Amino acid sequence: MAERVTRKDALVYGGAAVGGLVAGGAAVTAVAVAVENDKARSPVVGAPIVAPYVDGDLPDTDPGADAWDAAQPVLVPLAAQQIAQPYLEKAGVAELEARALHNGSTVALRLEWEDDSVDDLDGIRRYHDAVAVQLPTASGAPPALTMGEPGSPVHLLQWRATWQRDIDSGDKTGVDQIYPEVIHDVMPDDVLPPETAQLYWVGREAGNPLSQLRRPTPVEEAVAEGFGSVTHLPSQTATGRGVHEGGRWHVVVSVPSARKGVGAPLTPGSTWPVAFAVWLGSAENRGGRKHIANWQTLVLEAEA
Amino acid sequence: MAQVRNWQLGRDMDYPYVADRPAKQFTMIMDTNKCIACQSCTIACKSTWTWGKGQEFMLWNNIETKPFGFYPTAWDVNLLELLGEQEWEGDVYSGQTVFEAAPAGERVLGWTPAEEDWSHPNIGEDEPTGNADDTTYMPENPHSLMWMYYLQRICNHCTYPACVAACPREAIYKRPEDGLVLVDQTRCRGYQECLTACPYKKTMFNLETRVSEKCIGCYPKLEQGLQTQCTTACIGRLRLTSYLSAPDEVDPRKPADYLVHVRRLALPLYPQLGLEPNVYYIPPVHVPTKYLTQMFGPGVERAVETYRNAKDDPELLGLLMLFGATERIWHTWEVADGVARAFDEAGEEVVAVPLREPTFTRPFEFATDVAGEPATGYRHNT
Repeated sequence: MAERVTRKDALVYGGAAVGGLVAGGAAVTAVAVAVENDKARSPVVGAPIVAPYVDGDLPDTDPGADAWDAAQPVLVPLAAQQIAQPYLEKAGVAELEARALHNGSTVALRLEWEDDSVDDLDGIRRYHDAVAVQLPTASGAPPALTMGEPGSPVHLLQWRATWQRDIDSGDKTGVDQIYPEVIHDVMPDDVLPPETAQLYWVGREAGNPLSQLRRPTPVEEAVAEGFGSVTHLPSQTATGRGVHEGGRWHVVVSVPSARKGVGAPLTPGSTWPVAFAVWLGSAENRGGRKHIANWQTLVLEAEA
Repeated sequence: MAQVRNWQLGRDMDYPYVADRPAKQFTMIMDTNKCIACQSCTIACKSTWTWGKGQEFMLWNNIETKPFGFYPTAWDVNLLELLGEQEWEGDVYSGQTVFEAAPAGERVLGWTPAEEDWSHPNIGEDEPTGNADDTTYMPENPHSLMWMYYLQRICNHCTYPACVAACPREAIYKRPEDGLVLVDQTRCRGYQECLTACPYKKTMFNLETRVSEKCIGCYPKLEQGLQTQCTTACIGRLRLTSYLSAPDEVDPRKPADYLVHVRRLALPLYPQLGLEPNVYYIPPVHVPTKYLTQMFGPGVERAVETYRNAKDDPELLGLLMLFGATERIWHTWEVADGVARAFDEAGEEVVAVPLREPTFTRPFEFATDVAGEPATGYRHNT
């Protein structure tokens, strides 16, 4: 059964409150059913993000799959982050289009936003495009929007254009990607045994997940208890894929519903607060210099 | 914002964290007058720490010609322009620091170099400045009034680092045991806020590991009681790696305390920015005071005068002679009978240097016989 959503919760969740009142998950489900056959599905503003139940596999790495037509897209307003320093001075994108599907074992979101440029390299004063999904780890009232707070953590799923490029481009990473014509003379790995040469990539040697350029997923799974406290999870279970098409990023982010070792499972029929963040690399967005959305409502429909 | 004491400004100032001075503070003293920009220090550093893939742009140590040399390009003049004209009232700085002048939404006033700015480490090298009409080839004035000089640059391991202030992850920290400022390589997430905030531009981005790196003060050497690579590789013997006491615990027997606090010969770089940098410079004696005051603060004239008189000042001269005389870090020194001696913490002698090197005259039998030419002098390398 869906958790009961009170009027107070709906207001706190923000986006859910546009109709004045969301009586509960059941009513939300009814709205979704009403539009089920409308394949055009214009995005709506201010409604809960309802994830229909899908019997079978989810398009969890395919933002272009037809299966996404079953989900109602919702426009989520974005604002420049100006709560904690450093601020994003000016917003470069006004809204994020979000939709969701689930199949009882995985929850997948498709997220789209306008961005004229593909920024998928990390270099000197070169920053990447990215999107993040924020979920509470426990049910109940949402934690602080500011990436949780001490004692009240959030679960983060961040897709990065750089990581997508790492995966899509095989062996060429880092310097070879930024400067395809680069010619090196002697490098440590040319003349030293591997275990010694590795010491010259200190971040990698120290185990920093950002420094490992060969990776299985473009989506990082982390927890946080407030700005500046993002902590990479030892077990990475999220998947996804991003495609840039028509001046927009289309990104799928998916996570197993069980959320083992992270938080309460995302069970069918439950309702969750969900928030988002978007980074535009071309506008030098990174870290706290990002676009944020207020808490929205994610409704996971009960199994049919 | 906390209020902290910055002795270089002669006043308290705003800083995001409370003051917590280390047990002792890593410091380096540079005698700018002795540098020939051979870049031995730069290569010693580069070949020790930053020859890996992803570190191509990095020079933790560099030598730049002032006033037209910069690495990265225009680092100091860009920031000075952002900060605007500021004032000293005697030894007290009445202007704003980069923390006090931070715009809304920022912790530090900073500018961000572009990629290309890191690409010309030798820009402006050996380019002098000055009024050529006043100067060259005038018989009565053998010394040109044109001027330039070399500035030796490493991380300042500041008492109030702007990189630490700006990092939203608290991934940069100041070691309590020796005051070194280090980037936690497991915690950094590559936001590059430190590259914007550090006014000296001494944090850098690794393209392969995608996190920031910086001068580590050769801590593996320090921990063995040895001076840094840039110090020991310096053929001009112009550097001293040492430790500076807190301003209220000055010990005149210690070389850095003596040079910085007692004689006030070695001065901080751009103290007005408010970071209390811990690399100290003996200013060049031939550069206009106005320029030097902007760069090293109000004590420049006194320092230049002290340096000019060092030849008659055995205690100071002996200390300067001990620069670069040993790889070991030493703690006290004395000058007696024309010899300067340095001692370790236990009082054991580490090295001795004569104030005046003895002169030897080679006997004539080493003169070269060149066929067909008279034996005119000493053999040369042909």
